[in-house]
Amino acid sequence: MNRRSDAWLAYFMIFPVVAAVLAFVLGPTWDVATLSLTQFVMGQERGFGTLANFRALWADPIFPTVVRNTVIWILGGTLFCVVTGLAVGTFLAIDSKMTTALRALILLPWVLPDVVTAMAWKWMLHGQVGVIGDAFTRTGLTEKPISFLGDPNLVMWMLVVVLVWRKMPLVALILCAAIRSVPAEQIEASRMDGANARQRFRHVILPNIAFSLTAVTVISMIWITAEFTLPWVMTGGGPANASQIMSTYIYQQSFTFFNWGVGSAMSVVNLGFLICVVGLYLYVNRRSWAAGGSK
Amino acid sequence: MGSVALREIRKSYGAVEVLHGIDLDVADGEFVVLVGPSGCGKSTLLRSLAGLETISGGEISIDGASIVHLPPKSRDIAMVFQNYALYPHMNVAENMGFALKMAKVSKPEIDAKVRKAAEILSLTPLLERYPKQLSGGQRQRVAMGRAIVRDPKVFLFDEPLSNLDAALRVQMRAEIKELHQRLGTTIVYVTHDQIEAMTMADKIVVMKDGHVEQIGAPLELYDCPANRFVAGFIGSPAMNFIPARVQNGQALLADGTALAPAPAGLAEGLAFVAGVRPEHLMVTEQGAAATVTLVEPTGAEIQFVVDLAGTSVLVSTRDRVNLRHGDRVSLAVEPGRLHAFDTETGQRLG
Ligand SMILES: Nc1ncnc2c1ncn2[C@@H]1O[C@H](COP(=O)(O)OP(=O)(O)O)[C@@H](O)[C@H]1O
Ligand SMILES: [Mg+2]
Repeated sequence: MNRRSDAWLAYFMIFPVVAAVLAFVLGPTWDVATLSLTQFVMGQERGFGTLANFRALWADPIFPTVVRNTVIWILGGTLFCVVTGLAVGTFLAIDSKMTTALRALILLPWVLPDVVTAMAWKWMLHGQVGVIGDAFTRTGLTEKPISFLGDPNLVMWMLVVVLVWRKMPLVALILCAAIRSVPAEQIEASRMDGANARQRFRHVILPNIAFSLTAVTVISMIWITAEFTLPWVMTGGGPANASQIMSTYIYQQSFTFFNWGVGSAMSVVNLGFLICVVGLYLYVNRRSWAAGGSK
Repeated sequence: MGSVALREIRKSYGAVEVLHGIDLDVADGEFVVLVGPSGCGKSTLLRSLAGLETISGGEISIDGASIVHLPPKSRDIAMVFQNYALYPHMNVAENMGFALKMAKVSKPEIDAKVRKAAEILSLTPLLERYPKQLSGGQRQRVAMGRAIVRDPKVFLFDEPLSNLDAALRVQMRAEIKELHQRLGTTIVYVTHDQIEAMTMADKIVVMKDGHVEQIGAPLELYDCPANRFVAGFIGSPAMNFIPARVQNGQALLADGTALAPAPAGLAEGLAFVAGVRPEHLMVTEQGAAATVTLVEPTGAEIQFVVDLAGTSVLVSTRDRVNLRHGDRVSLAVEPGRLHAFDTETGQRLG
């Protein structure tokens, strides 16, 4: 076989993947982008090349709430996921029989389907029949059961708690693996150099896992941005839009109210946000010593 | 000051004891080399001294004060690791200054100390570089610099040269030795390479299977090995061992040829293992007859293998002897260079 036909064979082999990416990623993205610039009235197309959808979005009184909730959801969720994941991962990295068993057990939340998780938590957090509220009153912590998902000030944070419960284990495992791959000699050298446990973590372990840490942060951020089932099944954006986030709002606008114009405009905003996240990731990695060698 | 005393050091991993009661004294300023085959417990002993391993029994003291219960950082000991263990995210200056930073030394003082150490090790132009951008020898020097800036009582080295190529190893060997002469700090140095031990040490500790086999100056070990293991381990090429017995004050080989006078004090008729270094065998007019089986000229010397009373024996000589496979030669031992070891225990008999 000559080099020329090798190349053709290679193109042929990757063609299905390229076609799939074009069909299922770039195609819909293009559709959403054009859709967001098309005006709809009662489900009927009424002219292309207008910013009316974005203007409508801007004027929507719920939009600020959605933005605020999405910030809590994405930034708060990512922050808590990574911070608790780092703490748990550090603990799991310790060598002992118990942590070896825990390393396997901790993945349990990952085995459950999203809907099951969401339903289970919805009922556990329920105002009248939830076991958590019940436990709180029994132990005398609260007078009467708290309606965790019914309280507009609480609901967003409850969603974040469930999100962390579900997403944190993998973050913890990835960071645990990263911590365990820090060369033992470096840790020992720093012990000889007089660093205490906190300083070893700060000056040796953290810099060594910086690459994994940024990667896992960005990946969590993307997961969380894309997560829809949990909030939709648990609250459906309620009560009274108090837990409405970008993904649930897009779904509601597009498929409950058939307000495709606004839905697609919101999707474009969402996409812009994701591009920023990935751009940040690439930028941070470019500067990372792990990738380049020097600052 | 930095004199170290180890008493009855024991170390077990679970049920397995890897150090079986080690005693060792290191005088202030001495360069001591622990040498022995891989897995004999050298690193474990060194790491116990550093405080990176907790010993199961025994006593470690520096300048008379016990340090067993002190954490590594309080022992005033610095260690150079085999893989250098440099922090990849810090540049050379930060690597070298890290211990001082942890000790809350002021910035200008850290800078001054790092500069001074860098000068000693000719690292000054590299201070801003990262470990990735350094060669093996340079990393090795940074690791040493990190130890030097702390100005500890004792330096520990764990096989520091084993990742370097042969030429660089010889150069770094000289540099470490020179550094020791310049700083005068006590050094405990671990290696499995007996040549490194012979060339660098004031005192060599030969270890095997968690026991100390012999402690002594390099030439003491060479001239007077305490047992067959030390005799075979120290010296290159290795010592020949030939079964023999004493008759009329002569060491008689299996076929009845007399090799040399037996060492004094050996009972008549005693069977023993005769040990002779290749460089102490001479080709003479008359002596034990042997057949040449292999000749290897190396330039400076000629090494050849002979069959001597059924034992394969290596001879090394600086004379330009003209030998070929199958030639008959007669061999003699330099006076006083025949060692005798017990057949069973391998202990030195004389
Ligand atoms: N963490 C450990 N757990 C169990 N056994 C160990 C451990 N570290 C070393 N050993 C054992 O202790 C013995 C001595 O090891 P080491 O001191 O590293 O030898 P050396 O440095 O002389 O090559 C070896 O038999 C090794 O298998
Ligand atoms: Mg070792």
